[in-house]
Amino acid sequence: MIREPPPFFHRGPSPLARLTFFALLAIATMIADHRFGALDAVRLSLSVLVAPLQQLAAAPATALGRIADYFSSQDRLLRDNEELKAKLLEYAADAQRAKLLQAEQDHFLSMTPARSRFATDGVLAEVLSYGRNPFVRKLVLDKGLTQAIKAGMPVIDGEGVVGQVTAVGTFTSEVTLLTEKDQSVPVMLTRNGLRALAVGSGKDGSIDVPFMPVSADIQNGDLFVTSGIDGTYPAGLIVARVTAVEKNAAYVFAKITAKPAAGVDNHRFVRILTAARPAAAPPPDARADEKRPARERAPAKGRRQP
Amino acid sequence: MRPADLTPVARDVMKLPAGPGLVFASFIAAYLFNSLPWSGWALLARPDLVLVVLVFWAIHQPGSVGQGLAFALGLAMDVGDSMLLGQHALAYVIATYGAQVLRVRVLAFPILEQTLHVLGLFIGASAVVVLLNLLLGASLPGLAAMLSPALAALAWGPLTWILYLPGLRRMRRESAA
Repeated sequence: MIREPPPFFHRGPSPLARLTFFALLAIATMIADHRFGALDAVRLSLSVLVAPLQQLAAAPATALGRIADYFSSQDRLLRDNEELKAKLLEYAADAQRAKLLQAEQDHFLSMTPARSRFATDGVLAEVLSYGRNPFVRKLVLDKGLTQAIKAGMPVIDGEGVVGQVTAVGTFTSEVTLLTEKDQSVPVMLTRNGLRALAVGSGKDGSIDVPFMPVSADIQNGDLFVTSGIDGTYPAGLIVARVTAVEKNAAYVFAKITAKPAAGVDNHRFVRILTAARPAAAPPPDARADEKRPARERAPAKGRRQP
Repeated sequence: MRPADLTPVARDVMKLPAGPGLVFASFIAAYLFNSLPWSGWALLARPDLVLVVLVFWAIHQPGSVGQGLAFALGLAMDVGDSMLLGQHALAYVIATYGAQVLRVRVLAFPILEQTLHVLGLFIGASAVVVLLNLLLGASLPGLAAMLSPALAALAWGPLTWILYLPGLRRMRRESAA
Protein backbone atom coordinates (compact mmCIF):
# COMPACT_ATOMS: atom_id res chain seq x y z
CA MET A 1 0.00 0.00 0.00
CA ILE A 2 1.29 3.44 -0.94
CA ARG A 3 1.37 5.93 1.83
CA GLU A 4 0.34 9.52 1.43
CA PRO A 5 3.30 11.71 0.50
CA PRO A 6 4.26 14.37 3.02
CA PRO A 7 2.23 17.56 2.59
CA PHE A 8 5.01 19.57 0.96
CA PHE A 9 4.89 17.25 -2.06
CA HIS A 10 1.22 17.92 -2.64
CA ARG A 11 0.64 19.40 -6.07
CA GLY A 12 -3.10 19.46 -6.35
CA PRO A 13 -4.94 17.51 -9.03
CA SER A 14 -2.95 15.47 -11.57
CA PRO A 15 -2.09 16.99 -14.96
CA LEU A 16 -4.64 14.75 -16.66
CA ALA A 17 -7.40 15.89 -14.32
CA ARG A 18 -6.41 19.49 -14.96
CA LEU A 19 -6.37 18.88 -18.71
CA THR A 20 -9.87 17.44 -18.57
CA PHE A 21 -11.12 20.37 -16.54
CA PHE A 22 -9.55 23.09 -18.69
CA ALA A 23 -10.36 21.39 -21.98
CA LEU A 24 -14.00 21.14 -20.97
CA LEU A 25 -13.91 24.76 -19.86
CA ALA A 26 -12.43 25.81 -23.22
CA ILE A 27 -15.04 23.85 -25.14
CA ALA A 28 -17.79 25.36 -23.01
CA THR A 29 -16.34 28.81 -23.72
CA MET A 30 -16.35 28.15 -27.44
CA ILE A 31 -19.93 26.93 -27.41
CA ALA A 32 -21.06 29.88 -25.31
CA ASP A 33 -19.29 32.30 -27.66
CA HIS A 34 -20.37 30.66 -30.91
CA ARG A 35 -23.91 29.55 -30.16
CA PHE A 36 -25.13 32.14 -27.72
CA GLY A 37 -22.76 35.07 -28.15
CA ALA A 38 -22.83 35.15 -24.38
CA LEU A 39 -19.26 36.24 -23.85
CA ASP A 40 -19.27 39.69 -25.40
CA ALA A 41 -18.75 41.25 -21.98
CA VAL A 42 -15.78 38.95 -21.31
CA ARG A 43 -14.31 39.75 -24.71
CA LEU A 44 -14.81 43.45 -24.20
CA SER A 45 -13.14 43.53 -20.80
CA LEU A 46 -10.25 41.35 -22.00
CA SER A 47 -9.83 43.57 -25.03
CA VAL A 48 -9.47 46.58 -22.76
CA LEU A 49 -6.64 44.72 -21.02
CA VAL A 50 -4.78 43.71 -24.16
CA ALA A 51 -5.45 46.87 -26.18
CA PRO A 52 -2.41 48.79 -24.82
CA LEU A 53 -0.14 45.86 -25.70
CA GLN A 54 -1.55 45.71 -29.20
CA GLN A 55 -1.09 49.43 -29.69
CA LEU A 56 2.48 49.15 -28.43
CA ALA A 57 3.15 46.32 -30.88
CA ALA A 58 1.62 48.23 -33.76
CA ALA A 59 3.51 51.43 -32.91
CA PRO A 60 6.75 50.79 -34.86
CA ALA A 61 4.91 49.93 -38.06
CA THR A 62 2.64 52.94 -37.66
CA ALA A 63 5.62 55.21 -37.10
CA LEU A 64 7.37 53.76 -40.17
CA GLY A 65 4.24 54.38 -42.20
CA ARG A 66 4.12 57.99 -41.01
CA ILE A 67 7.77 58.51 -41.90
CA ALA A 68 7.25 56.97 -45.32
CA ASP A 69 4.26 59.26 -45.81
CA TYR A 70 6.35 62.24 -44.86
CA PHE A 71 9.02 61.44 -47.39
CA SER A 72 6.61 60.44 -50.14
CA SER A 73 7.84 62.13 -53.23
CA GLN A 74 6.70 65.54 -54.35
CA ASP A 75 6.02 64.04 -57.75
CA ARG A 76 3.51 61.54 -56.41
CA LEU A 77 1.74 64.17 -54.35
CA LEU A 78 1.41 66.42 -57.38
CA ARG A 79 0.04 63.58 -59.46
CA ASP A 80 -2.42 62.61 -56.73
CA ASN A 81 -3.48 66.21 -56.46
CA GLU A 82 -4.16 66.46 -60.19
CA GLU A 83 -6.15 63.26 -60.12
CA LEU A 84 -8.18 64.36 -57.14
CA LYS A 85 -8.96 67.71 -58.73
CA ALA A 86 -10.16 65.98 -61.88
CA LYS A 87 -12.30 63.67 -59.79
CA LEU A 88 -13.69 66.58 -57.84
CA LEU A 89 -14.84 68.28 -61.02
CA GLU A 90 -16.33 65.05 -62.20
CA TYR A 91 -18.26 64.60 -58.97
CA ALA A 92 -19.30 68.24 -58.67
CA ALA A 93 -21.94 67.90 -61.35
CA ASP A 94 -23.20 64.69 -59.77
CA ALA A 95 -23.33 66.38 -56.39
CA GLN A 96 -25.37 69.26 -57.75
CA ARG A 97 -27.83 66.88 -59.30
CA ALA A 98 -27.94 64.81 -56.12
CA LYS A 99 -28.76 67.92 -54.13
CA LEU A 100 -31.59 68.76 -56.48
CA LEU A 101 -32.91 65.21 -56.31
CA GLN A 102 -32.58 65.22 -52.54
CA ALA A 103 -34.64 68.38 -52.30
CA GLU A 104 -37.23 66.88 -54.59
CA GLN A 105 -37.27 63.67 -52.59
CA ASP A 106 -37.61 65.54 -49.33
CA HIS A 107 -40.54 67.38 -50.79
CA PHE A 108 -42.26 64.17 -51.85
CA LEU A 109 -41.42 62.40 -48.61
CA SER A 110 -42.96 65.23 -46.63
CA MET A 111 -46.24 64.30 -48.25
CA THR A 112 -46.09 60.60 -47.31
CA PRO A 113 -44.97 58.87 -44.13
CA ALA A 114 -42.21 57.04 -46.01
CA ARG A 115 -38.62 57.48 -44.85
CA SER A 116 -35.61 58.02 -47.03
CA ARG A 117 -33.95 54.82 -48.21
CA PHE A 118 -30.62 56.44 -48.76
CA ALA A 119 -27.66 56.80 -46.47
CA THR A 120 -27.15 60.12 -44.80
CA ASP A 121 -24.92 60.20 -41.75
CA GLY A 122 -21.55 58.60 -41.44
CA VAL A 123 -18.34 58.64 -39.47
CA LEU A 124 -14.91 58.70 -41.05
CA ALA A 125 -12.72 55.95 -39.65
CA GLU A 126 -9.09 55.06 -40.15
CA VAL A 127 -8.08 51.51 -40.95
CA LEU A 128 -5.77 50.40 -38.15
CA SER A 129 -4.98 46.93 -39.41
CA TYR A 130 -6.26 44.07 -41.49
CA GLY A 131 -7.15 41.93 -38.51
CA ARG A 132 -5.09 39.00 -37.34
CA ASN A 133 -7.43 36.10 -37.68
CA PRO A 134 -5.90 34.06 -40.53
CA PHE A 135 -9.20 32.33 -41.18
CA VAL A 136 -11.41 35.39 -41.60
CA ARG A 137 -10.26 38.63 -43.22
CA LYS A 138 -11.34 41.68 -41.34
CA LEU A 139 -10.52 45.35 -41.08
CA VAL A 140 -9.92 46.93 -37.70
CA LEU A 141 -11.10 50.54 -37.53
CA ASP A 142 -10.27 53.24 -34.99
CA LYS A 143 -13.87 53.98 -34.00
CA GLY A 144 -15.76 52.01 -31.38
CA LEU A 145 -18.37 52.13 -28.67
CA THR A 146 -17.23 55.60 -27.64
CA GLN A 147 -18.29 56.90 -31.05
CA ALA A 148 -21.60 55.03 -30.84
CA ILE A 149 -20.62 52.47 -33.45
CA LYS A 150 -22.86 49.42 -33.39
CA ALA A 151 -22.53 45.97 -34.88
CA GLY A 152 -24.35 45.74 -38.19
CA MET A 153 -23.48 49.18 -39.51
CA PRO A 154 -22.40 49.19 -43.16
CA VAL A 155 -18.96 50.46 -44.12
CA ILE A 156 -18.12 52.08 -47.46
CA ASP A 157 -15.14 53.65 -49.12
CA GLY A 158 -14.94 56.07 -52.03
CA GLU A 159 -15.84 53.38 -54.54
CA GLY A 160 -18.46 51.26 -52.86
CA VAL A 161 -19.44 48.95 -50.04
CA VAL A 162 -16.54 47.47 -48.07
CA GLY A 163 -18.44 45.37 -45.56
CA GLN A 164 -20.23 45.47 -42.28
CA VAL A 165 -19.22 46.14 -38.68
CA THR A 166 -19.40 42.78 -36.92
CA ALA A 167 -17.76 43.42 -33.56
CA VAL A 168 -17.29 46.58 -31.56
CA GLY A 169 -14.69 47.25 -28.91
CA THR A 170 -14.32 50.30 -26.74
CA PHE A 171 -12.13 52.24 -29.16
CA THR A 172 -12.01 49.94 -32.18
CA SER A 173 -14.42 48.01 -34.32
CA GLU A 174 -14.07 45.10 -36.70
CA VAL A 175 -15.42 45.06 -40.22
CA THR A 176 -16.07 41.78 -41.97
CA LEU A 177 -15.44 42.21 -45.67
CA LEU A 178 -18.05 41.75 -48.33
CA THR A 179 -15.91 39.09 -49.95
CA GLU A 180 -15.84 36.84 -46.88
CA LYS A 181 -17.56 33.51 -47.05
CA ASP A 182 -21.27 33.71 -46.21
CA GLN A 183 -21.39 37.51 -46.10
CA SER A 184 -24.41 38.45 -48.15
CA VAL A 185 -25.83 41.72 -49.42
CA PRO A 186 -29.18 42.18 -51.17
CA VAL A 187 -28.40 43.88 -54.46
CA MET A 188 -30.10 45.28 -57.52
CA LEU A 189 -28.87 45.46 -61.08
CA THR A 190 -28.73 49.12 -62.12
CA ARG A 191 -29.48 48.33 -65.77
CA ASN A 192 -32.83 46.62 -65.28
CA GLY A 193 -33.64 46.62 -61.57
CA LEU A 194 -33.19 42.86 -61.24
CA ARG A 195 -32.97 41.84 -57.57
CA ALA A 196 -30.37 39.39 -56.40
CA LEU A 197 -28.28 38.37 -53.43
CA ALA A 198 -24.52 38.89 -53.54
CA VAL A 199 -22.63 36.38 -51.42
CA GLY A 200 -18.91 36.54 -50.63
CA SER A 201 -17.02 33.61 -52.07
CA GLY A 202 -14.30 33.61 -49.41
CA LYS A 203 -11.52 33.22 -51.95
CA ASP A 204 -9.59 35.57 -54.25
CA GLY A 205 -11.72 38.52 -53.20
CA SER A 206 -14.67 37.85 -55.47
CA ILE A 207 -18.42 37.76 -54.98
CA ASP A 208 -20.88 35.14 -56.19
CA VAL A 209 -24.44 35.82 -57.20
CA PRO A 210 -26.15 32.46 -56.68
CA PHE A 211 -29.64 31.27 -57.58
CA MET A 212 -30.08 33.37 -60.69
CA PRO A 213 -31.94 31.50 -63.43
CA VAL A 214 -30.06 30.87 -66.67
CA SER A 215 -32.56 33.13 -68.42
CA ALA A 216 -31.78 36.10 -66.15
CA ASP A 217 -30.70 39.21 -68.02
CA ILE A 218 -27.22 39.71 -66.60
CA GLN A 219 -24.22 40.68 -68.69
CA ASN A 220 -20.55 41.19 -68.16
CA GLY A 221 -19.83 44.63 -66.76
CA ASP A 222 -23.25 45.10 -65.17
CA LEU A 223 -23.24 47.07 -61.94
CA PHE A 224 -24.83 45.85 -58.72
CA VAL A 225 -25.96 48.39 -56.12
CA THR A 226 -27.55 47.68 -52.75
CA SER A 227 -31.29 47.34 -52.98
CA GLY A 228 -31.90 48.32 -49.39
CA ILE A 229 -34.56 45.71 -48.73
CA ASP A 230 -32.67 44.16 -45.83
CA GLY A 231 -32.81 47.22 -43.62
CA THR A 232 -29.05 47.03 -42.99
CA TYR A 233 -27.54 48.48 -46.11
CA PRO A 234 -29.07 51.71 -47.38
CA ALA A 235 -30.14 51.60 -51.01
CA GLY A 236 -28.01 52.76 -53.87
CA LEU A 237 -24.50 51.94 -52.67
CA ILE A 238 -22.28 50.45 -55.35
CA VAL A 239 -21.38 46.86 -54.51
CA ALA A 240 -19.76 45.05 -57.40
CA ARG A 241 -19.35 44.75 -61.13
CA VAL A 242 -20.09 41.49 -62.93
CA THR A 243 -16.91 39.93 -64.29
CA ALA A 244 -18.07 36.54 -65.53
CA VAL A 245 -21.41 35.05 -66.48
CA GLU A 246 -21.44 31.34 -67.16
CA LYS A 247 -24.72 30.04 -68.49
CA ASN A 248 -24.90 26.32 -68.90
CA ALA A 249 -28.21 24.77 -69.86
CA ALA A 250 -27.27 21.68 -67.86
CA TYR A 251 -27.68 23.61 -64.63
CA VAL A 252 -30.71 25.33 -63.24
CA PHE A 253 -28.77 28.41 -62.19
CA ALA A 254 -26.25 30.58 -63.93
CA LYS A 255 -22.82 30.97 -62.38
CA ILE A 256 -22.20 34.68 -61.91
CA THR A 257 -19.04 36.14 -60.50
CA ALA A 258 -18.55 39.78 -59.61
CA LYS A 259 -15.67 41.88 -58.42
CA PRO A 260 -16.31 44.28 -55.53
CA ALA A 261 -16.06 47.95 -56.47
CA ALA A 262 -14.44 48.95 -53.19
CA GLY A 263 -10.70 48.50 -53.01
CA VAL A 264 -10.33 47.11 -49.52
CA ASP A 265 -6.58 46.72 -49.68
CA ASN A 266 -5.52 50.22 -50.58
CA HIS A 267 -7.56 52.55 -48.45
CA ARG A 268 -6.60 54.12 -45.21
CA PHE A 269 -9.95 55.72 -44.53
CA VAL A 270 -13.44 54.35 -44.76
CA ARG A 271 -16.84 55.64 -43.80
CA ILE A 272 -19.11 53.94 -41.30
CA LEU A 273 -22.74 54.69 -42.08
CA THR A 274 -24.15 55.34 -38.64
CA ALA A 275 -27.65 56.38 -39.54
CA ALA A 276 -28.44 53.46 -41.72
CA ARG A 277 -32.08 53.54 -42.48
CA PRO A 278 -34.48 52.04 -39.90
CA ALA A 279 -35.08 48.34 -40.30
CA ALA A 280 -38.59 48.37 -41.67
CA ALA A 281 -40.94 51.28 -41.79
CA PRO A 282 -43.86 50.74 -39.44
CA PRO A 283 -47.16 50.04 -41.10
CA PRO A 284 -48.78 53.22 -42.40
CA ASP A 285 -51.65 53.01 -39.93
CA ALA A 286 -49.38 52.97 -36.92
CA ARG A 287 -47.48 55.95 -38.21
CA ALA A 288 -50.60 57.76 -39.20
CA ASP A 289 -51.83 57.69 -35.63
CA GLU A 290 -48.91 59.83 -34.59
CA LYS A 291 -49.68 63.06 -36.34
CA ARG A 292 -50.96 62.73 -39.86
CA PRO A 293 -54.57 63.41 -40.70
CA ALA A 294 -56.49 60.35 -41.78
CA ARG A 295 -56.98 61.40 -45.38
CA GLU A 296 -53.25 61.24 -46.09
CA ARG A 297 -53.04 57.56 -45.28
CA ALA A 298 -54.39 56.30 -48.54
CA PRO A 299 -51.57 57.41 -50.86
CA ALA A 300 -49.03 55.98 -48.44
CA LYS A 301 -50.08 52.43 -49.26
CA GLY A 302 -48.01 50.58 -51.74
CA ARG A 303 -45.08 52.94 -51.54
CA ARG A 304 -41.51 51.85 -51.81
CA GLN A 305 -41.90 50.09 -55.10
CA PRO A 306 -38.72 50.46 -57.05
CA MET B 1 -0.92 9.05 -6.78
CA ARG B 2 2.27 10.31 -8.32
CA PRO B 3 5.61 9.90 -6.63
CA ALA B 4 7.37 13.15 -5.88
CA ASP B 5 9.44 14.22 -8.83
CA LEU B 6 13.00 14.06 -7.61
CA THR B 7 14.71 13.36 -10.93
CA PRO B 8 17.71 15.57 -11.52
CA VAL B 9 16.44 17.79 -14.30
CA ALA B 10 19.76 18.87 -15.75
CA ARG B 11 23.05 17.11 -15.98
CA ASP B 12 25.30 20.13 -15.94
CA VAL B 13 24.54 22.73 -13.33
CA MET B 14 21.69 23.16 -11.01
CA LYS B 15 19.74 26.20 -12.10
CA LEU B 16 18.19 28.79 -9.90
CA PRO B 17 14.47 29.24 -10.43
CA ALA B 18 13.59 32.24 -12.57
CA GLY B 19 11.93 35.08 -10.76
CA PRO B 20 8.28 35.95 -11.38
CA GLY B 21 9.44 39.18 -13.02
CA LEU B 22 11.30 37.29 -15.75
CA VAL B 23 8.36 34.95 -16.35
CA PHE B 24 5.96 37.87 -16.60
CA ALA B 25 8.27 39.92 -18.84
CA SER B 26 8.83 36.97 -21.17
CA PHE B 27 5.09 36.49 -21.62
CA ILE B 28 4.57 40.20 -22.28
CA ALA B 29 7.38 40.21 -24.86
CA ALA B 30 5.98 37.10 -26.55
CA TYR B 31 2.50 38.61 -26.68
CA LEU B 32 3.93 41.79 -28.19
CA PHE B 33 5.68 39.69 -30.83
CA ASN B 34 2.42 37.90 -31.66
CA SER B 35 0.61 41.25 -31.84
CA LEU B 36 2.95 42.76 -34.43
CA PRO B 37 1.00 43.83 -37.50
CA TRP B 38 1.31 40.51 -39.34
CA SER B 39 -0.75 40.12 -42.46
CA GLY B 40 -1.15 37.87 -45.45
CA TRP B 41 0.91 34.69 -45.50
CA ALA B 42 3.26 36.06 -42.85
CA LEU B 43 0.28 35.90 -40.52
CA LEU B 44 -0.22 32.23 -41.34
CA ALA B 45 3.47 31.49 -40.87
CA ARG B 46 3.79 33.54 -37.68
CA PRO B 47 5.53 31.47 -35.01
CA ASP B 48 3.42 31.56 -31.89
CA LEU B 49 5.97 32.80 -29.37
CA VAL B 50 3.43 32.86 -26.56
CA LEU B 51 3.09 29.11 -26.97
CA VAL B 52 6.88 28.66 -27.08
CA VAL B 53 7.36 30.64 -23.87
CA LEU B 54 4.47 28.81 -22.26
CA VAL B 55 5.93 25.39 -23.08
CA PHE B 56 9.36 26.61 -21.97
CA TRP B 57 8.15 27.57 -18.50
CA ALA B 58 5.90 24.53 -18.24
CA ILE B 59 9.00 22.41 -18.77
CA HIS B 60 11.54 24.43 -16.81
CA GLN B 61 9.36 25.80 -14.05
CA PRO B 62 6.33 23.53 -13.64
CA GLY B 63 5.61 24.92 -10.20
CA SER B 64 4.77 28.41 -11.40
CA VAL B 65 3.39 27.95 -14.93
CA GLY B 66 0.65 25.45 -15.60
CA GLN B 67 -2.57 24.87 -17.42
CA GLY B 68 -4.50 27.64 -15.68
CA LEU B 69 -2.11 30.24 -17.07
CA ALA B 70 -2.21 28.47 -20.44
CA PHE B 71 -5.98 28.85 -20.48
CA ALA B 72 -5.83 32.55 -19.59
CA LEU B 73 -3.16 33.26 -22.22
CA GLY B 74 -5.20 31.39 -24.80
CA LEU B 75 -8.18 33.63 -24.09
CA ALA B 76 -5.93 36.69 -24.42
CA MET B 77 -4.71 35.42 -27.80
CA ASP B 78 -8.26 34.79 -28.98
CA VAL B 79 -9.28 38.30 -28.03
CA GLY B 80 -6.20 39.78 -29.67
CA ASP B 81 -6.72 37.89 -32.90
CA SER B 82 -10.50 38.31 -32.70
CA MET B 83 -11.16 34.62 -33.04
CA LEU B 84 -13.77 32.46 -31.39
CA LEU B 85 -13.08 32.62 -27.65
CA GLY B 86 -11.54 29.43 -26.31
CA GLN B 87 -9.82 27.88 -29.30
CA HIS B 88 -6.33 29.03 -28.43
CA ALA B 89 -7.15 28.26 -24.81
CA LEU B 90 -7.83 24.64 -25.75
CA ALA B 91 -4.71 24.41 -27.91
CA TYR B 92 -2.48 25.91 -25.21
CA VAL B 93 -3.92 23.73 -22.46
CA ILE B 94 -3.30 20.60 -24.53
CA ALA B 95 0.26 21.70 -25.39
CA THR B 96 0.95 22.50 -21.73
CA TYR B 97 -0.32 19.10 -20.70
CA GLY B 98 2.03 17.54 -23.25
CA ALA B 99 4.88 19.58 -21.84
CA GLN B 100 4.07 18.48 -18.30
CA VAL B 101 4.03 14.84 -19.31
CA LEU B 102 7.22 15.09 -21.36
CA ARG B 103 9.20 17.49 -19.21
CA VAL B 104 11.53 15.07 -17.43
CA ARG B 105 12.26 13.31 -20.69
CA VAL B 106 12.78 16.54 -22.64
CA LEU B 107 15.18 17.94 -20.08
CA ALA B 108 17.37 14.88 -20.34
CA PHE B 109 18.17 15.76 -23.97
CA PRO B 110 20.39 18.43 -25.48
CA ILE B 111 18.78 21.37 -27.29
CA LEU B 112 18.46 19.75 -30.72
CA GLU B 113 16.46 16.79 -29.46
CA GLN B 114 14.47 19.12 -27.21
CA THR B 115 13.55 21.07 -30.33
CA LEU B 116 12.16 17.95 -31.97
CA HIS B 117 10.11 17.17 -28.88
CA VAL B 118 8.56 20.61 -28.69
CA LEU B 119 7.98 20.63 -32.46
CA GLY B 120 5.51 17.83 -31.86
CA LEU B 121 3.73 19.88 -29.20
CA PHE B 122 3.56 22.94 -31.50
CA ILE B 123 2.22 20.91 -34.42
CA GLY B 124 -0.42 19.47 -32.11
CA ALA B 125 -1.45 22.91 -30.89
CA SER B 126 -1.77 24.43 -34.36
CA ALA B 127 -3.61 21.32 -35.56
CA VAL B 128 -6.17 21.92 -32.82
CA VAL B 129 -6.73 25.52 -33.97
CA VAL B 130 -6.95 24.58 -37.67
CA LEU B 131 -9.35 21.70 -36.95
CA LEU B 132 -11.61 23.91 -34.85
CA ASN B 133 -11.73 26.51 -37.61
CA LEU B 134 -12.50 23.84 -40.22
CA LEU B 135 -15.40 22.77 -38.00
CA LEU B 136 -16.56 26.38 -38.01
CA GLY B 137 -16.63 26.39 -41.80
CA ALA B 138 -13.33 28.08 -42.65
CA SER B 139 -11.45 26.75 -45.64
CA LEU B 140 -8.12 25.00 -45.25
CA PRO B 141 -5.32 27.53 -44.70
CA GLY B 142 -2.41 27.59 -47.11
CA LEU B 143 0.87 25.76 -46.85
CA ALA B 144 2.32 28.72 -44.99
CA ALA B 145 0.38 27.56 -41.93
CA MET B 146 2.66 24.50 -41.75
CA LEU B 147 5.61 26.82 -41.37
CA SER B 148 4.32 28.26 -38.12
CA PRO B 149 5.06 25.31 -35.79
CA ALA B 150 8.42 24.75 -37.51
CA LEU B 151 9.47 28.37 -36.95
CA ALA B 152 8.23 28.17 -33.38
CA ALA B 153 10.38 25.09 -32.81
CA LEU B 154 13.36 26.93 -34.33
CA ALA B 155 12.84 29.63 -31.72
CA TRP B 156 13.23 27.05 -28.95
CA GLY B 157 17.03 27.04 -28.90
CA PRO B 158 17.58 30.82 -28.87
CA LEU B 159 14.76 31.23 -26.37
CA THR B 160 16.28 28.70 -23.98
CA TRP B 161 19.54 30.62 -24.16
CA ILE B 162 17.89 34.02 -23.62
CA LEU B 163 15.74 32.89 -20.70
CA TYR B 164 18.68 31.17 -19.03
CA LEU B 165 20.89 34.25 -19.15
CA PRO B 166 19.42 36.12 -16.16
CA GLY B 167 19.63 33.01 -14.01
CA LEU B 168 23.19 32.29 -15.07
CA ARG B 169 24.25 35.85 -14.37
CA ARG B 170 22.68 35.77 -10.96
CA MET B 171 24.41 32.50 -10.18
CA ARG B 172 27.77 33.87 -11.28
CA ARG B 173 27.25 36.96 -9.18
CA GLU B 174 26.32 34.89 -6.17
CA SER B 175 29.22 32.53 -6.54
CA ALA B 176 31.59 35.50 -6.91
CA ALA B 177 30.24 37.11 -3.79
